[in-house]
Amino acid sequence: MNQYAPSLTEAHRRFLTDLFPGEGCLLSAEGRAAFSADSSRCRAMPWAVVRPERREQVVELLRWAEAEHMPLYPRARGTCQVGNAVPALGGVVVSLLRLDRILDVDPDDFVAVVEPGVVTADLQAVCAKKKLFYPPDPASVKMSTVIGNASTCAGGLRAVKYGVTRDWVLGLEAVLPGGRVLRAGGRMHKDVVGLDLTRLFIGACGKLGLITEMTVKLIPLPEASASVLAGFADLSSCMEGARAVFRAGLLPAACEFMDANVLEAVRRIDDVPLPEATRAALLFKVDGTAEGVRAETERLCAALRPLSPVGVTVGTGAEEEAVWTVRRRISPATFQIKPNKVAEDIAVPRSRVGEAVERAHLIGEEHGLPVLCYGHLGDGNLHVSIMHDVSVPGEAEAAERAKNAVFRLAIELGGTISGEHGTGLTKAAFVPEQLGAASIALMDAIKANFDPSGIMNPGKAW
Amino acid sequence: MADRQCILCGACMAVCPLLRATGREELSPRAKSDLNRLLAEGAADLSGDAVARLAGLCLGCHRCKAVCPQGVDVPEVVAQLRAAHPDFRRWLWKTWLTHAGTLWPAGSAAAKAVPEGLAPEKFGPSLRMLAGLSGGPGLTPLLEPVKFPDSCRGERMLLFAGCTATYVRKRWADTARRLLDGLGVEVLAADFGCCGSGLSAVGLSAEAGVLAERNLAAWRAAGRPRVAVFCASCLEGLRAYRPDDSAEAEAWRKALTPLSIVLHDIEFVVSPHATSAIGYHHPCHAPEPDPDLALLRRALGDRMVAATGKECCGFGGVMRLGAPELSATVNAGCWAALQGAELVLTGCSACATQLAATAPAGVTAGHWLELIA
Repeated sequence: MNQYAPSLTEAHRRFLTDLFPGEGCLLSAEGRAAFSADSSRCRAMPWAVVRPERREQVVELLRWAEAEHMPLYPRARGTCQVGNAVPALGGVVVSLLRLDRILDVDPDDFVAVVEPGVVTADLQAVCAKKKLFYPPDPASVKMSTVIGNASTCAGGLRAVKYGVTRDWVLGLEAVLPGGRVLRAGGRMHKDVVGLDLTRLFIGACGKLGLITEMTVKLIPLPEASASVLAGFADLSSCMEGARAVFRAGLLPAACEFMDANVLEAVRRIDDVPLPEATRAALLFKVDGTAEGVRAETERLCAALRPLSPVGVTVGTGAEEEAVWTVRRRISPATFQIKPNKVAEDIAVPRSRVGEAVERAHLIGEEHGLPVLCYGHLGDGNLHVSIMHDVSVPGEAEAAERAKNAVFRLAIELGGTISGEHGTGLTKAAFVPEQLGAASIALMDAIKANFDPSGIMNPGKAW
Repeated sequence: MADRQCILCGACMAVCPLLRATGREELSPRAKSDLNRLLAEGAADLSGDAVARLAGLCLGCHRCKAVCPQGVDVPEVVAQLRAAHPDFRRWLWKTWLTHAGTLWPAGSAAAKAVPEGLAPEKFGPSLRMLAGLSGGPGLTPLLEPVKFPDSCRGERMLLFAGCTATYVRKRWADTARRLLDGLGVEVLAADFGCCGSGLSAVGLSAEAGVLAERNLAAWRAAGRPRVAVFCASCLEGLRAYRPDDSAEAEAWRKALTPLSIVLHDIEFVVSPHATSAIGYHHPCHAPEPDPDLALLRRALGDRMVAATGKECCGFGGVMRLGAPELSATVNAGCWAALQGAELVLTGCSACATQLAATAPAGVTAGHWLELIA
């Protein structure tokens, strides 16, 4: 068990305020409070918050923290769903929002070099001006950062075609406890020399070191796209519809799924451009050249036809955004069913999504709670929302039991308890069940080489 | 929806101009609403006044409310915090008195408008006029109306000019009246006062309520006609009124009309001397889509070379008094987005005065009404 500094001493405070003058260091209770929680709503007060503006400050900070056994919690926008940004054991939060420069967007090397606090959508906008494309697009793309996306290996709608954050990071610079600076990878799109230390950091939730710069891969910006919303009379023909599209040789940029409960929830707050008889829906996006998009859209609709969809809406040009409204309205719509939600993001092999949805609904019935399923069908990543009302006695406990049952279901189907959110605090108890003791021991041993005193983001699961 | 709690989702962080400009997460809307909840729950070692002071660092732009899935109104939370903590109010008045002299150059129109004794009911309108009111005669007109459609001919309408146009920039109201006259609109006389939004934002809701009642009474007395408004902040302030009678509330909301919508089909000729590098600043409080921008695009065509979207001018009401350096940081981001424009137009009295006062060398800025001959 690691021994950590029990509190912040006067000398610690002096060190921090010298290294981070003015508003660069927050010690007041009202200032620190904003850094005590993330989107998981788990909470623990940090002892101090610092805001580096230069790598040299980070080096100095990590040298000091290692010597003092001071827990450090890297943080960007704090939109993590599972508590990874929460300072669980006390210590110092390192806010990276002032390291937010886009250092280079190179149309010849097809790379961008960024500091950690850049908002992902901002990077995409700068790239788009040069007709370049950085594809990872988690739902939080407008509010989360490249470092947050890298630390959680964020996925998103386009993952089915373009992969997840891990597939786009070519190199990084990280500061390790003790102040060592690691440079891994670079601008090469191919590099097989040595173990892949870059990838080790992606999805490591800040537990190895503090990333101060990233080099990401870019591709040409697709010139056109189109979207298709298709409704089906039952779940099995819906799943068969998705299968038919892939079997037709198509790889859509997005392949989203919504169950009957989700559609009903959205109908309560908005129009859904599908007939009432719809019991499940698929939402596809294709992208590429204008000619390619036209041809793929036609082929996609043809592939769906044998499944007799009850409704098909194609959106192109200015109307494309409208077919996505139903997908975007899901999150607020769920609260029309019940005021509280336990939202999990299991992933299972693509062939087992239908079974996962049916059994998740059964789990809901067994616990007397509505369960809504939607998500990135294309990569088997299913968002399972267990709706409940904490003011009704017993419902919060039932939701917790249902959540555990959903996790066990994911593992039983050969899947994972988290496709993209991570484990952090809220899923920590289930990680050993999925990974097993031997894997965890190896991961701990790897971490010890980077972070011997365990000061980097302690208290979180793998 | 209004009583629903913040769920810490962070959607507001995508749009908050203060967070964008400063990188200080404790200034984000999410942090403010969470801090307010922690204070209400009695979290240890939080002082109400310190919380009110920190949360008070808010531009009041309401962009966060527009994207919040829970409908949380953070500027309203901030206003309530300000109202609930008398020490904050004392601090505000002290700061106000200390800064009034430097903010208002002696001899400027605004200085003359400073109410004796700084009575609270004059505070809101005065805030609107803080920035840049010594800024000279305004822009040179470059647009001449040449053809008026008949769409509103004979309609009786009210014009809500707002404090800045009433006390300082009388030219805005004169131009608006002339254009309405050209359209054949009969502009009725009305005893309007300040919209009161500046007062609501600092927690003086009772005083704001008195102004709301007065303006509603003026509208009723005129027979509830359409009210043309040319300041985005006034429009939002007026839209926030909640008459008790729900039918009247609906009629009030429908009556409020951006002046640019009324003027939209007028044909203008652009002066040959007009610069071909015109920018537009989208006020935080402007409706979406922005009708002022639509009017100007139609009139100016491809002379419009830059426009802000996410950026705030940094006026920020009372925040400017307590934290002028934050206001300046936000303002710098706004000008960066307007780079390349030699003339910047906007449709909000606060934005117009702030931009006129802070324009870089060689750039002029003002309300788009100043551009019309």
